Amino acid sequence: MRRISIKSLARVEGHGGITVTIDGKKVKDVRINIYEGPRLIEELVVGKSPEDVLNIVPRICGICNLSHRYAALRGLEKALDMKLPLRTKLTRDLMLLGEIIQSHSLHIFFLSLPDFLGYSSAMDMVDNFGEEVKRGIALKSFGYRIMELISARMIHGENPILGGFGAHPSKSALIEIKDRANNLMSDAEKTVELMASFDYPSYAECETIFMALNPLDGKYGFVGDSILISTGEERNVEEYKKVIQERVVPYSFAKRSRYNGEPFTVGALARMNLFGERLTGKAGKCFKKLYSTRWLKNPFFNNLAQAIEVLYSLETISRLVDSIMKLREPMIEKPSNTLSSGIGTGAIEAPRGILYHHYSIKDGLIADCDIATPTAQNLDDIERYLRIAVNNLLSAGIENNLELKLEMLVRAYDPCISCSAHSIKIEGIHNLFNLHTDEH
Amino acid sequence: MEKKKAGIYSFTGCSGEQLVILECGAKLFELLELIEIKSFLMAQSNNEKAILDIVFLEGSITTKKQEKELKEIRTHSKMLVAIGTCACFGGIQSMNLGEPGWKKRFQKVYGDNDKLFKAMEPFESKPCDTFVKIDYYIPGCPMDKEQFLHSVARILNGNPPYLYKFPVCTECKWKENDCLLLKGIPCLGPLTRGGCGAICPSYNLPCVGCWGPIEEANVASEYKLLIEKGYSPQELQRKMRKFGGVTMMEYLKKIKKQVK
Repeated sequence: MRRISIKSLARVEGHGGITVTIDGKKVKDVRINIYEGPRLIEELVVGKSPEDVLNIVPRICGICNLSHRYAALRGLEKALDMKLPLRTKLTRDLMLLGEIIQSHSLHIFFLSLPDFLGYSSAMDMVDNFGEEVKRGIALKSFGYRIMELISARMIHGENPILGGFGAHPSKSALIEIKDRANNLMSDAEKTVELMASFDYPSYAECETIFMALNPLDGKYGFVGDSILISTGEERNVEEYKKVIQERVVPYSFAKRSRYNGEPFTVGALARMNLFGERLTGKAGKCFKKLYSTRWLKNPFFNNLAQAIEVLYSLETISRLVDSIMKLREPMIEKPSNTLSSGIGTGAIEAPRGILYHHYSIKDGLIADCDIATPTAQNLDDIERYLRIAVNNLLSAGIENNLELKLEMLVRAYDPCISCSAHSIKIEGIHNLFNLHTDEH
Repeated sequence: MEKKKAGIYSFTGCSGEQLVILECGAKLFELLELIEIKSFLMAQSNNEKAILDIVFLEGSITTKKQEKELKEIRTHSKMLVAIGTCACFGGIQSMNLGEPGWKKRFQKVYGDNDKLFKAMEPFESKPCDTFVKIDYYIPGCPMDKEQFLHSVARILNGNPPYLYKFPVCTECKWKENDCLLLKGIPCLGPLTRGGCGAICPSYNLPCVGCWGPIEEANVASEYKLLIEKGYSPQELQRKMRKFGGVTMMEYLKKIKKQVK
């Protein structure tokens, strides 16, 4: 019996490790250990007002704070029966595109690319791959700029509030966003080319189930009210607890999910596999040219899927800004539900996949909250792919750089561990946290 | 000049400060001419333990393991700089600090399991200076990029960071915003550290206190004013404690008698 142990995963957001136990040439056990400290976010918001919730829940994650804010807004506004003006909805979609660009660029250039080019970090790549690093910085900064112009700050901006915005972005801000999106198109196209130029490893290939929100307008997008599943099923987001069947494992701070007992994948690759053919324009052309059946079974293609989504986002920004500018600036919407009580489930596609925020409000204060993050949903499938990878590599007699190969596989999923471990709820589970404290 | 050796370590939080560092763009590369980063787990894979000249700490401490790690870092670091509200004050995860029954609240989320408690040794979130001496603080949620860069520049030149000693209100006045408190909106500007640029009031939104409490904040005065405006004590404490961590907890204890 031997054990491969990666104590601290590098170039991922948050604190986690991998332990693989091997018996002879076969994997006996694979574990992703999450060491992120407990914050009890879902408990912190109980007894608070919906406005307080919006200050608190985005702090779950610095990378996808606006995804959390948007999902929370959708959940709370459903609970309070609020109908939003079109301009407010479109402006929120625009802010989400900013976050998609920011998060994907961070992952592609700073977390993932060093693996494929053989470096320790993006900072080390600057001498030989200066152009690529510059491109990554430009795209990521633009994503942050959109977030800043709409949410009021690059991270944890408070401007998107219940019913609208403290202040809608100005005309000059919208024009700046549109112009810069157009100017960055060639950088995004080159990024797709770059991410398509790698020969993605085949040591972890196996079909899986994909899930993504079916976009409201029937096009490609990140906001929806029903869950599309690659088995052909479609379910309302209100049924998410039945669909993702969360449970707790005894060695991780994060909840786990299964669909009918099977692990599944969410994120850019899931979106591409489920409705990539809806893409038009340059992103559509790239998709048609690059898509293959390997995308259905190889998580490494998530890198390429993210690059195409950056291109899609830049193309969409231009159209979206035009639509926003045609509409009059609306007032902040007030709840029509004067009882200030209700239940609502809001979901959006965060950069890493479906994010659910569920709230129950009683007499104006939060009575219950449940948040299910994309990374927590992906963890079971990441473990399954790790198992496949180790079995394949060992049976092919490939032992060198095993740890690196496994880390690369985990990084392809772009896990966000702060998100995954925001809290777990345990009902009657024992022996929890027989954590590997001996190793630390 | 020999490069200073630096480390960036993260505990419980959202990684916001690390993201701000990575968003310094061209200036980050200028900074790398002056410092060598020996540990930065989120951004690089070759991390090593070394004697460090400057260490940046992000996040609050919520487990015994983190406490040990932090104390260990102190032993090989010449200077510790707490960055962000979580490291400086404890962050949102400290908002109920001092309230009775933490273990119960923990168990409500994590289950009634003593084994778990013994294995992980978790405790209610506390700021870094509860456990080790912190040399400098750069607050913010997240910290401001420019404030970080000029603080680092000053530190590299042997000077302490220069941080604003005034509340958000001062910056708000510079922007000529209307005072939200005068309109009866519970804005925490007078109690909160300046440096953010009074962003929220500039968007017609009350300050929520995310940069943490300012030294010598006149909590009693704002508390009384808002009680007069019709807010309940529970509501005010909820708002003030959201980002106030240990420091606001102490302030509120002190004024308890005054406001009664």
